[in-house]
Amino acid sequence: MSTTVVEPWAEEPLLRYVAQSGARLVVVMTPSGQVLAQHGFARAVDLMAAAALGAAIMAASGALAQQLGERAFGALFHAGQRHGIHLAPCATPRGPLVVLTVFGKETSIGLVELFHEEFAAALHRAAPAEAVRAPVLAADFEADLNRSLTSLFRR
Amino acid sequence: MSLVNFTTREITCKIVYYGPGRSGKTTNLQYVYAHVPDDRRGRMVSLATQTDRTLFFDFLPLDLGTISGFTTKFQLYTVPGQVYYNATRKLVLQGADGIVFVADSQVRQLDENLESLRNLQANVLEQGVDIRGLPMVLQFNKQDLPPELILAPGELDQALNFRGLTAFPADALHGAGVFETLKGVAAEVLRRLSQGDGAVRRI
Amino acid sequence: MSDALQQSLDRLARVRGMRGSMWVAAEDGLTVAQLLMEGVRGKAVAALAASLARKVSGTAGAVGAGTVRFVQMETASGTLLVAPAPPDLLIVALADPQVNIGLARLEMLRAVRAVAR
Repeated sequence: MSTTVVEPWAEEPLLRYVAQSGARLVVVMTPSGQVLAQHGFARAVDLMAAAALGAAIMAASGALAQQLGERAFGALFHAGQRHGIHLAPCATPRGPLVVLTVFGKETSIGLVELFHEEFAAALHRAAPAEAVRAPVLAADFEADLNRSLTSLFRR
Repeated sequence: MSLVNFTTREITCKIVYYGPGRSGKTTNLQYVYAHVPDDRRGRMVSLATQTDRTLFFDFLPLDLGTISGFTTKFQLYTVPGQVYYNATRKLVLQGADGIVFVADSQVRQLDENLESLRNLQANVLEQGVDIRGLPMVLQFNKQDLPPELILAPGELDQALNFRGLTAFPADALHGAGVFETLKGVAAEVLRRLSQGDGAVRRI
Repeated sequence: MSDALQQSLDRLARVRGMRGSMWVAAEDGLTVAQLLMEGVRGKAVAALAASLARKVSGTAGAVGAGTVRFVQMETASGTLLVAPAPPDLLIVALADPQVNIGLARLEMLRAVRAVAR
């Protein structure tokens, strides 16, 4: 199974969480749906859709809680026929994150919840504070952009 | 906020198509989806009502390829246009790196365009972001309709384009202007990254 | 039903050396009812005991040993006891090493029968 991390500090906690919880798919994302780390997804684009939807569920339930005068909901759990889905927030010095876990019959929501707590704590310990801003792309990126878009749109 | 992975040299940016109801935001994404190769796009996710109006958002992940040595991915979102869906619009706007404002060129829709622009500004401000600092382009959609029903790009520019943004006339249903718009907003967002003054998550 | 579950835990708590007991949803590993001493991590015990029961049942099935009625795990610092209460529940007990296992087992199987009725 593949594991990829955008930010290296997330890798060790993620691998441990996957091993302990028996999860099939895990995505660690920002509240706006940007993926920081993942386990189990074969295609990056499927991963992005899962992250967008997971972040949307969290955002919508958070907004609903706010309207009811409640604090944000904790974990959300959906028991499906073949898969369970667990979605929970996680506070880190890097800002709030969201963890989406998909698991099968080989484990249980109890185990996922149990090890999610440890995972959230491990992410909190491992995450550095927000890094400095810096230029990323070369100033002459536009030629590359034109070439990429031409190839993408076949024109 | 763009996500930049310096280890694997990957950039992911979030683009939101904003605008009044029925201005053609979803149509833009559908056209892009139908005209890029399978291996460069993900599944298009549409959270819509039974009558196919956007309820929450549409989502389309795109792989732009390599730019300045970075594998660059764009996540395209639309917001629901109807006034009463403002709560969900705000959620979708969170963390946007760039905005495409899709205006409806019809004369009778001018007020809706203005209201939606004002709403965009208020929602962005609520997140503590000054809209003047956010990469954004305009699209004047439905320019294919009979001239007596629509405003010309110059007139729409006068009415809506207070900031002198790049604007693209379009007919999203048939694809005219769709790619130009996407290219325009991509350039704005990436220009921000090349200047290093954007909110960038960096490793 | 919840009264019956709680009463069975009360009876189990009277067994000397018992640190805690709980009814657990067998498939989910979540606690249904519990009576625990301070410091016992109920959530962890529930999740792990359900996982253990599932694995033991799988093993018993694989070797043709039939349905599992009771699981006893002794460690240096305590004993974990699990009895399935089909179709959905498990009764789980956590005890000191010197607990009277026979008595605890009797109470747990009695509880399983009571819940089945």
